[in-house]
Amino acid sequence: MDSSTAVFLGVDGVTNGAVYALVALSLVLVYTTTRVVNVAQGDYLTFGALSFASLAAGSLTPLVYLVLGAGVVAMAIDMRRAITYKRNPLAPLAKYLVAGIVLVGLTLLASRSQSMFLQMVAALLLVSSMGPVIYQLTVEPNPGNPPIVLLTCSVGVTLILHPLGLLLWGSDSRTVNPISDLRLSLGGVDLAMQSVLIVGAALVMTVALFAFFRYSLHGKALRAASINRDGALYCGVPVGTVGRLSYFIAAGMSALSGMLLAPLVTANYEMGFAVGLKGFVGAVLGGLVTYPLSLAGVFVVGVFESFSAFFSSAFRDAWVFALVIPILLWRNASHGDDLDEH
Amino acid sequence: MRISKLISGAFLLAGAAASQAQSLPVFKIGVVTAATGAAATIAAPANQAIELYREQLAALKNLPFKVEFIQYDDASDPTKSVNLVRKLIQEDGAAMVVCCTTTPSSLAVAKVAEDAQTATIAMAASAAVVEPASEKRYMFKTPITERLMINHTLDYMVKQGVKTLSFLGLEDAYGEGGWIELKALAEKKGIKIVSSERFARQDTNFTPQALKTVQAKADAVYIHAIPPSASLVHEALKRVGYRGPIYHGAGAPTAAFITIGKSAVEGAIVGATPITVYKDLRADNPLSKSIGEFVKAFDGKYGAGKAEIFATQGYDAVGLAVDTVKRYVTSGKKGDLAQMRKDLRDELEKTHEYAGSVGIFNYTPTDHVGLDKRTLFLVQVKDGQFRMIKD
Repeated sequence: MDSSTAVFLGVDGVTNGAVYALVALSLVLVYTTTRVVNVAQGDYLTFGALSFASLAAGSLTPLVYLVLGAGVVAMAIDMRRAITYKRNPLAPLAKYLVAGIVLVGLTLLASRSQSMFLQMVAALLLVSSMGPVIYQLTVEPNPGNPPIVLLTCSVGVTLILHPLGLLLWGSDSRTVNPISDLRLSLGGVDLAMQSVLIVGAALVMTVALFAFFRYSLHGKALRAASINRDGALYCGVPVGTVGRLSYFIAAGMSALSGMLLAPLVTANYEMGFAVGLKGFVGAVLGGLVTYPLSLAGVFVVGVFESFSAFFSSAFRDAWVFALVIPILLWRNASHGDDLDEH
Repeated sequence: MRISKLISGAFLLAGAAASQAQSLPVFKIGVVTAATGAAATIAAPANQAIELYREQLAALKNLPFKVEFIQYDDASDPTKSVNLVRKLIQEDGAAMVVCCTTTPSSLAVAKVAEDAQTATIAMAASAAVVEPASEKRYMFKTPITERLMINHTLDYMVKQGVKTLSFLGLEDAYGEGGWIELKALAEKKGIKIVSSERFARQDTNFTPQALKTVQAKADAVYIHAIPPSASLVHEALKRVGYRGPIYHGAGAPTAAFITIGKSAVEGAIVGATPITVYKDLRADNPLSKSIGEFVKAFDGKYGAGKAEIFATQGYDAVGLAVDTVKRYVTSGKKGDLAQMRKDLRDELEKTHEYAGSVGIFNYTPTDHVGLDKRTLFLVQVKDGQFRMIKD
């Protein structure tokens, strides 16, 4: 082990950690706004990568039909609720129709065009739309559920989504073209431009989320909604739409992560699970509540994983998951009476 | 009057045909594969091939017997495999079983097959599935064993003057199977293994293991994995500056290996079965005909270039089962289900020069793999194509 190897592994670990970053951020986002530990976050990553691969291959992604089907169910629920509360049932109908038409139009357009940007946007919106629908079906029916029930529900969601990916796309790995084929050389380490983009996306998203929740009124309202639901309601925060919105953004972030990762490791129906788990380990460092700490967490995980893989590759995952224990002990010692962690 | 006669005549004919169909003996063949779960990538082509075989069989008229397939999915879980095989034997009345996709499942099922005395044909890679044949009298398999393939590959390495070797393998049962065989055989042949690294199929990064391997400075590297990770590890090795020869096991000769690895896998030496090089076989080789027909049918149904190694393993498993039933029926043996299962096993063990899509099978009481040198090839990636290495 000389210094150049150490530098190599360090840089490699940072780029590898960035892969987990967007998923970790999504986990934090969902947890801070809804108190759901969303285990299914990795599946959005899979769906994003595979939808993008489908569109890039010029075929319609099978996800479109699924999202439309689930959307109709969600629309029916919303209309029923509107009728119960003596509101105009046509308002949700109009909203869902517009959303459906936009999605289908965009997907059709993306599958026929050669523009990678358009394909990414279409896949991103498609997977993002899964978020609110899943929120509506699994969290909304009983808003006062304790976190452990919500966690169990999200385990159920992942048990459905994972085989669904296999059903929709089959088991073959699909190759996806990177945004850029460039390779950089950084201090003797050869880096793919794609990895640099992933690191960039992780940093940008962290800063954006951190600033939004810390400084903007909307962000504060979202946080308030999760800390005290009733109190936020009395202050006029639309608690119902908060959860849907955060699920929408979180699904989109994970999907983006999948699209950026797919060119490096191919897109297949299993890719999300391991990334989701390691993203979770990183997010735990931030106690599932702070963005900058979670980002630091995934970089710790990535670098730690790189070094473990170099020294004892058979046990590298064991080392990474063992990392949770000292992290929890440290958090407990330093934030024992943290308000955010009931 | 005439019309009524016609109708009654038609009924008589239909009745005769129906009784004819009923008098044919029906054989139930149970199939258990890993359609979902970790091994789905390997099971999917095999399932497609089994589906194709069923269609081909259904299209055959005037068979002196009927075959009914009962298919289940074990989700790559050995416990499920055992339960499903039990169900097939005890409840569904299967005469023979085709199971399983993975080595752990097949090992677990071996005991069930032995206890129920029902011949079971596995599609798993490891030799342990059918060894020792004296104890596993009811287990057979279709894929080439790792031992045969690695032995063949090592012989070639010795010829090339390889003295030291680095191993990179999957950390699941498949990789472990390759590692055990390689370790034992390399020692015998005087090749020293200087490093051994593991990775998982879903890893997002293979650079550290590749770096460690390069620093071990071996004459050659042997990778035991399946695409996509086989290609990605190969690419990582190239990226960190490895320049020596890279060998792969028999899990890698698929189109995906090249589409994923692109130019990075150029020059890779891969262990392969005849399907990869069937066009280069001599015309008098019975495999060139049987594989040619299989590829044509399979590609016709699923798309060009789809017929590959994992598909052949499923195709021959059901093919061998039905071939056995055919011989059993012509031998004129009779008996209840338990006796029939025993007779079918004995008949399967007598399989002689069966030219399938994997290779030519000759089962004997001591050999339930049934494949020999004629099934072993080394191919090299040249200009994005697998090319046979001529000895």
